[in-house]
Amino acid sequence: MLVTSQLRVGSIFKVGTDVLVVQRMLGQKGGRNGMVTKMRVKNLLTGGTSDLGLDSGEKFDEVDLDLHNMKLSYIDGEMYVFLDQETFEQYELTKDDLGDNASYITPEDDFDVEITFYEGKPVGVVLPIAVDRTITYCEPGIKGDTSGKSTKPATLDSGFVVQVPLFCDIGTKIKLDTRDGSFVERVK
Amino acid sequence: MTLDILCKVVDNFGDIGVVYRLARALSDAPDAPRIRLIVDDLAAFNLLEPAVDPSRAVQSIRGWTLLSWAGPDGSTNGAYEAAYNEDPAIAVIECFACGRPDWLEKMLFDAADGRTKTIVNLEYLTAEPYADEFHRMPSLTRSRAVRKYIFMPGFTAATGGLILDGAFMAALRRYAEPATRTEFRRELTARVGFDADGLEANYWAVVFGYERDYGRVVRDLAEFHRGRPVLAIVASGKSDACFIAAWERAERPFPVCRLPFLRQEAWDEVLCAADFLVVRGEDSMARAALSGKPFLWHAYPQEGAHQMVKVRALLDRMRPHFGADEFSAVEDAFLAFNDRLADGVGVCGEERILPLMRLESGFRSFSAGLMANGNLGFNLMTFLREIV
Repeated sequence: MLVTSQLRVGSIFKVGTDVLVVQRMLGQKGGRNGMVTKMRVKNLLTGGTSDLGLDSGEKFDEVDLDLHNMKLSYIDGEMYVFLDQETFEQYELTKDDLGDNASYITPEDDFDVEITFYEGKPVGVVLPIAVDRTITYCEPGIKGDTSGKSTKPATLDSGFVVQVPLFCDIGTKIKLDTRDGSFVERVK
Repeated sequence: MTLDILCKVVDNFGDIGVVYRLARALSDAPDAPRIRLIVDDLAAFNLLEPAVDPSRAVQSIRGWTLLSWAGPDGSTNGAYEAAYNEDPAIAVIECFACGRPDWLEKMLFDAADGRTKTIVNLEYLTAEPYADEFHRMPSLTRSRAVRKYIFMPGFTAATGGLILDGAFMAALRRYAEPATRTEFRRELTARVGFDADGLEANYWAVVFGYERDYGRVVRDLAEFHRGRPVLAIVASGKSDACFIAAWERAERPFPVCRLPFLRQEAWDEVLCAADFLVVRGEDSMARAALSGKPFLWHAYPQEGAHQMVKVRALLDRMRPHFGADEFSAVEDAFLAFNDRLADGVGVCGEERILPLMRLESGFRSFSAGLMANGNLGFNLMTFLREIV
């Protein structure tokens, strides 16, 4: 069984006979007995998406999935093409299939990701918990402010915009938590 | 229509207090549902409702069926089976995402039972904007046959509102009358053995907070006392020893009446019959806000001073009801009182409650706005009729 707190973008779980994949985390708020998480899920059988609020105690059946290590080969418009590192076969996933995980990867990355297969079809991607990205745009850094309490928006080389501490600058390499897009540390 | 209401007691009375109030509010509804309460700590419930027998797994109080969370033992199997076979619930109200007892879980997720079931997670009260966003939001369980939704109490019309139970509302009306208020005050002080001769007409300031230094509060009450006599009503709990210590240090500048632990309805009466309220916990804060009296909320201190998020959110809801200068006094008092650094070396300044005690119209306006959002009990019933 999977509990709500284990779900992240790319997680796949069952509700009755439906198979759902988490596409986007839309916010997490502290309830009295744990977090309530708002997320967007896609039904892999019907293709429909819906926004839901899940409290932390709910349990879901896991789905038998195959996982294959791959690298992102290239992006063609909305299509993300991955290369299996053992068979060298290519698999295509849409940006929609990747959900928010599309925000963390570029073809230049040298780390592997896991592509999840359900009934022989690629349906999503599981990322490492932390990935390194480079800031391509932000307001100039403020030296000496290392508390990290104040933040500013920064555009990454993947096109994603995240909040980073004020000391970050264009060209700064940072480690991000892919579960929630939060800044972890500056990569030296 | 029958509802199952689930409650797991996490703190002393925060959970069971709301559940008890909710059950009473639902029973006030024009088409009142039959209610089954499923509670894990009957001893805690007993302190609020003495009719509860903590030793009995199945009992009836106030017309509700009360079942122990632990579920049927050998002797009560029949009672549980009869309850559910003869009268299945149309919805399960899972208060504060408390989970479900195993025996109920088996019934809800019984694949052989073709009926669709509904669970509503009644979340805890917050003034944060997400309450509007999460209210009535669909949720999920592992079965399509068991639907789930989130229902948020709150301070706006986009939430389920606050619980306006009949007893509380009646107490508010009753003690708005000076004669009945004075009579209640006389009766209360006599009941707790306090010689209040002539003090019924004083300015009654209730103190029910967490542990902290109450020195500033005592100084402000003492200053107010010089213009209008004060009687501090100090509730039993985490703040009474701290408050009394500060009061002793200040050489007892005004009289103090200490209260024993009171049942919820009796406590509500005290809040309704007082003039100024320092309260802790979400439910007493909601009562204070609804009372229309000047109040100060002592939010539960959390890791990383997260309580300040909750306090600021409440202030945002209060802001439209005050003039700019008045609100500035309210904001300063709430922020300084709740920032836990305020007990340190003056990082956050000093809380001043004196200006609050003179602001009545803004608090009355805030109360009127909350009342206009409707009774959470009735709003919940309307929601259930829509989804079931």
